Amino acid sequence: MTATVAIFPASGTSQLPNRLMADEPRFTLLGVVLAFALIPVFAAMAVETRTYQDMNVWMKPAKFMISLSLYTLNLALFARFLPAGMTARRRYRAYSTFVVLCILAEMIWIGGAAAMGVGSHFNRSTPELALIYTLMGVIAISLTTASLVFGIAILRNRASGLAPGLRLSIGLGLVLTFVLTVPVAMTMAMGTGHLVGTPQTGAMLPVMGWSREVGDLRIAHFFATHAMQLLPLFGLLTLALPRHLAVPAVWTAAAGYAALVIATFVQALAGQPFLQWMG
Amino acid sequence: MPPETLFQFANPLAMTGWLALALSPLAPRLANAYAGFVVPVILSVGYAALILAFWSSAEGGYDSLANVMRLFDNPHAALAGWVHFLAFDLFVGAWAARRARAEGVPHILVLPCLGLIFWFGPIGFLLFLVLRAGLSLRAPKPTEA
Repeated sequence: MTATVAIFPASGTSQLPNRLMADEPRFTLLGVVLAFALIPVFAAMAVETRTYQDMNVWMKPAKFMISLSLYTLNLALFARFLPAGMTARRRYRAYSTFVVLCILAEMIWIGGAAAMGVGSHFNRSTPELALIYTLMGVIAISLTTASLVFGIAILRNRASGLAPGLRLSIGLGLVLTFVLTVPVAMTMAMGTGHLVGTPQTGAMLPVMGWSREVGDLRIAHFFATHAMQLLPLFGLLTLALPRHLAVPAVWTAAAGYAALVIATFVQALAGQPFLQWMG
Repeated sequence: MPPETLFQFANPLAMTGWLALALSPLAPRLANAYAGFVVPVILSVGYAALILAFWSSAEGGYDSLANVMRLFDNPHAALAGWVHFLAFDLFVGAWAARRARAEGVPHILVLPCLGLIFWFGPIGFLLFLVLRAGLSLRAPKPTEA
């Protein structure tokens, strides 16, 4: 399991924050700030009396903070496998700063909308809000490009020091995050809400809050967006396989994963709930 | 959660911080970590939560005295303001205790400053500054802790 050593430092995880900070300081700092910002948001959830679509208004900012913190910290973790010298380039630093600003803009808008008690998504009630909503979509795509940029750079970097299967799983996961998330999220954004079909009485799956009675486009969005975590985890498992099987196994898993996302997407568009047997 | 409940939680919490400062010569580092960090952080999280949840429902603002007074008509905003006092007064108290120890100000002189910072924040702060200035006229002071 030598390749796992490359992901987590040999002396244990106590040095991990320092390593992330050295490899990608901007993403690391943002990820840490977002993670700590969850504390007052959860505290606000405890004292909050307002709801939006039957959920505490802070639920959505909390979900985005968890997701974006994971996203930036995960990119920082993978930054080590970018081609040598890439993160030191001026052009890269400007791009990475731009991504950080996009994430901050997204978070400030979603958090601010929650504080003010207005809908942050699908809210086209005034021309100004409709314009902001469109702009936020552009910003959301911009911040997702970081996974594409990282994915392509890692796929092309033969000197990453990673086992071929693991490197492929990281690269493909990152590319799939972008390629799958953008069409799913854009389809969802064009509509009027994340649910498809009737009746909507509010029955939902625990924790995730996905509908149990109609199609829910957030399911495909979730799996699409987290390809960059789940595929590399599979890539770690392939380290236990014979060398020549690892790469084909990762390709198969990636194809299966993309098929899963497309299936949940089609299922939601057809108005069918996820995991119907759970009724 | 009703604002009264949160108030009844915040006040004793701050009191434990002041108690720690009053007894700080017994365990200076522990007292300072508690009164200068742990309690202010908890109170600040509470303040942030109140502002996030209730700022938009409060009338008024910061731009005129009348607006500031209207802000305090809202019980949650008033509670947030009170928690702000509690957190920052204690933080200043912890700073005073820390400086006093580093500069060799006798604890018996720090106690009235802490009492005044607790009751009337800025007045205690001023008293501490004056005492400190006066004592600095003494023999050369010890190095900083």
